[in-house]
Amino acid sequence: MMSSFNAIVPMACVTAAGIAAMVAEAFRDPGERMPIGGLGAVGLLGAAIATWLLWDRNAVSFGVVSADKFGLFVTGILIVVGLLSLAISGPTIERERLPRGEYYALMLFAIAGMMLMATATDLLVIFLALEVLSLAVYVLTGIRRDSQKGTEAALKYFLLGALSSAFFLYGIAFTYGLTGTTRLDRIGSLLAAQAMAPTPMQLLAVGLVLVGFAFKVSAVPFHMWTPDAYEGAPPAVTAFMSTGVKAAAFAAFVRVFLSAFEPLKGSWSEPIVAGWSQVVWVVAAATMIVGTVVGVAQTNVKRMLAYSSIAHGGYLLVALVAANDVGKASVLFYLLTYAVTNIGAFGVITLLDNLDQPNDEVRDYAGLWNHHPALAALMTVFLLSLGGFPPMAGFIAKWYVFSAAVKAGDNVLAIIGVLTSVVSVFFYLRIVVMMYMTPSDTPARFPAVPRMAGAALIASAILVFYLGILPTRVIDWAAASIATIF
Amino acid sequence: MQFPILTSLVALPVAGAILLLLVRGDEEQSAPFVRKIALIVSLLVFGETLLLWSRFNPGSGDFQFVERHAWIPAFGIEYAVGVDGISLLLIVLTGFLTPLALLSSWESVRKHTRAFSIFLLLLESAMIGVFVSLDLFLFYIFWDAMLVPMYFLIGIWGYERRIYAAIKFILYTMAASVLMLLAIIGLAYLYQTTNGVYSFDLLKLYDLPKTRHQELWLFAAFALAFAVKVPLFPFHTWLPDAHVEAPTAGSVILAGVMLKMGTYGLVRFAFPLFPEAAAFVAPALAGLAVIGIVYGALVAMVQPDMKKLVAYSSVSHLGFVVLGITAMNTQGVQGAVYQMLNHGVSTGGLFLIVGMLSDRRHTRQISEFGGLKKVTPRLVAAFLIVTLSSIGLPGLNGFVGEFLILLGAFRWDPRLAAFAATGVILSAAYMLWMFQRVNYGPVTNDKNARLPDLQPREWAIIVPIIAVAVLMGVFPNLFLRPIEPSVQRMLNQVQRGAPARIQAVNR
Repeated sequence: MMSSFNAIVPMACVTAAGIAAMVAEAFRDPGERMPIGGLGAVGLLGAAIATWLLWDRNAVSFGVVSADKFGLFVTGILIVVGLLSLAISGPTIERERLPRGEYYALMLFAIAGMMLMATATDLLVIFLALEVLSLAVYVLTGIRRDSQKGTEAALKYFLLGALSSAFFLYGIAFTYGLTGTTRLDRIGSLLAAQAMAPTPMQLLAVGLVLVGFAFKVSAVPFHMWTPDAYEGAPPAVTAFMSTGVKAAAFAAFVRVFLSAFEPLKGSWSEPIVAGWSQVVWVVAAATMIVGTVVGVAQTNVKRMLAYSSIAHGGYLLVALVAANDVGKASVLFYLLTYAVTNIGAFGVITLLDNLDQPNDEVRDYAGLWNHHPALAALMTVFLLSLGGFPPMAGFIAKWYVFSAAVKAGDNVLAIIGVLTSVVSVFFYLRIVVMMYMTPSDTPARFPAVPRMAGAALIASAILVFYLGILPTRVIDWAAASIATIF
Repeated sequence: MQFPILTSLVALPVAGAILLLLVRGDEEQSAPFVRKIALIVSLLVFGETLLLWSRFNPGSGDFQFVERHAWIPAFGIEYAVGVDGISLLLIVLTGFLTPLALLSSWESVRKHTRAFSIFLLLLESAMIGVFVSLDLFLFYIFWDAMLVPMYFLIGIWGYERRIYAAIKFILYTMAASVLMLLAIIGLAYLYQTTNGVYSFDLLKLYDLPKTRHQELWLFAAFALAFAVKVPLFPFHTWLPDAHVEAPTAGSVILAGVMLKMGTYGLVRFAFPLFPEAAAFVAPALAGLAVIGIVYGALVAMVQPDMKKLVAYSSVSHLGFVVLGITAMNTQGVQGAVYQMLNHGVSTGGLFLIVGMLSDRRHTRQISEFGGLKKVTPRLVAAFLIVTLSSIGLPGLNGFVGEFLILLGAFRWDPRLAAFAATGVILSAAYMLWMFQRVNYGPVTNDKNARLPDLQPREWAIIVPIIAVAVLMGVFPNLFLRPIEPSVQRMLNQVQRGAPARIQAVNR
């Protein structure tokens, strides 16, 4: 009987840690320092052990949460995201005097929601998970209550997010109307049996769900909230949401579209069958192009990385369009790589953030090399990885995704992908130019680096090189992950 | 197990760079120490390349010292390295020029010496990696990784417009390379459709049958990447900026080794992988090469800046190399490979000399100089020898390569050879005119009156260059012998793919 709970053990660990954080905060004397972040780390480590034990078991709880390898791989990514985010949050909390317990509790609940989203096999449960994680992240975005930008960002994010949830729910309703179920596997088989060419009603259902996901992964044209939210939130939260939300949303996106909605994929071959893959093709191309081209024009590092994050979403969509075994596995590898790299980059931003001076304009990075050579070197590693330079992980990830596109015969999308990635190098290098090649006009004004956060950044950098030079094992895991469910 | 000499060649500079990372102390204290370590590491690498050459069996055209290890088995990606006669001497050249580049920056690099040495060593690793890779994926990794240290070398230690030049360099070459990455992926999938498994192994992909249509597209992607790197006219616009703004060491490596990556890529990858497409496109490439020879020479003639002049002369000289490759006969390709080495030595030497002048006067404008012969006779003597070697005076290295290339081109199409030959004359014109304006006549500028002559450190730079230039001019067979069997093997490879063309050429 107990065994039916197995699949939810990882998220239960994280939830328990979140509750513990709240309780600890409630019983904390004002002024007393408690290692609440440590509680979160314990919860995440518990989740990691559970994930490791569940690997290869294919545990299913209540018929709607499936701890298959695909879900567990994403759970693993989320654990990495959680640990790194906890580690780089310390300085921000300290400096901004944020409510420690609430901050960590919200982050842990968000992670639990993300894990549920990655493992859910029912549209309604996915929706539930989406709401759990979104609500926590909305609050985290606006957690600096006295910051005007933060509040504006949170409100914008919340309104657009709520709207997208409505779309998503509406899409689920239509899907239920068509098939009489919300279970992904049954939807898949029923849709496959219904008709050869998708009917308008089916396309409407898929379209609405697609809009919901597109909001969450900030795909063009539903990306408008991203730069504002990323800029307004504390950088540690941005690091967390730009990676965690994306990983969870993409996991569900791939699962829903490549299992339940697989029959409505459509095809480019003669005669053209209308389906979602044509739409996603256009969305992917637009996302890559808009993300990089608008990114070039940014002068704020956070907004620049927000557009970079949009562009990276586009590369992930390329893999989704390819929809072959390489594509599905590459999504997993890409999400891991992107998570490690992006948290690293935002971690550096977090460490440079002063209360009186956010240091988040590109020109603020002038001469960083002279003041903080180690931080400059780490930032360079992360930026070059985002730009896709070997031997960093970003190169392997991009190669993997474009391999999927080439294998699917989609050369045009692959060409758009590589060319936009060259354009993106331009704005990543602008920061490098500032750090190394531009003398700073003002004296050093960067805060010292706390040990914990420094260790997290070094760990990220090591992972970036590990995944870039010896990706074999992780690629094998990713390949094994997709073999079980699709 | 055999000693992994190639892996150790790639790893040694990286190890040196890591060692330098551990050096403590501020700039003032650490710089002399750092310079010495970097120089010792680079000399060790050079010694090892010589060891490689001595162990190399010149009678065989096959790949030697091959090492293979599975790397990403799911995609058939291997860590596979090996050398043949074509890559062997280019590796030696890399090993030869890196210590000289370090020596040249001994005094001119005054800030961040440690980072400078690290980037130069990392660059050396990546360059050697490009030459030894037998797996296309591995090759691309080195190819792309090479850009980063060069970008920093230009951007941090370069002259006034260094940032613009550095970004232009990296974006321009990367934009051309990424399409090659897609072509590499495409090749691996093509292999998979016929053989069931993926492979990025160069030797297997050589024999992969491709349709004409596929070949043309894949060849286009490869050729574009290499043409930008060479640089072939009209893709050369990044080169003058990068060369002029780069520090002396950067220019030496850029001209001496990195430009050869492009022509090496044509010989190693583009032509043998896609022989039919290559035969189809070769006349057009040869046309561009000849235009580049004449255009580069004419533009070089009117440059007021010595470094820019040498940069444009590279466009012209590399045009010869491409012409030799497109001729696709023994003389042409052999001459092309030989000319790659020559150009590395003589243009590397020219940049070193211009660097010495610029260290003394902090300007590179020809008009600022004049009459140096009376002031610094030894420096001018060295300058003369290097200039003559670049022009291709018989008895020095430049002559042999150009002669072989023109011979090869003539056997293919005499018209091309005729046009290209004007480049030889033009090169004499612009080089000697420059030499004359800088060194002869009265000393017109008072600042030149008291310039010091060659320092011991500069002797150490210039003597090896001159010695090699003479050696290559007098005993070309020493160098041509290991090249020949590999060139022959590569031509056979191309011939199998496009027999009609080769027969027509070798009538």
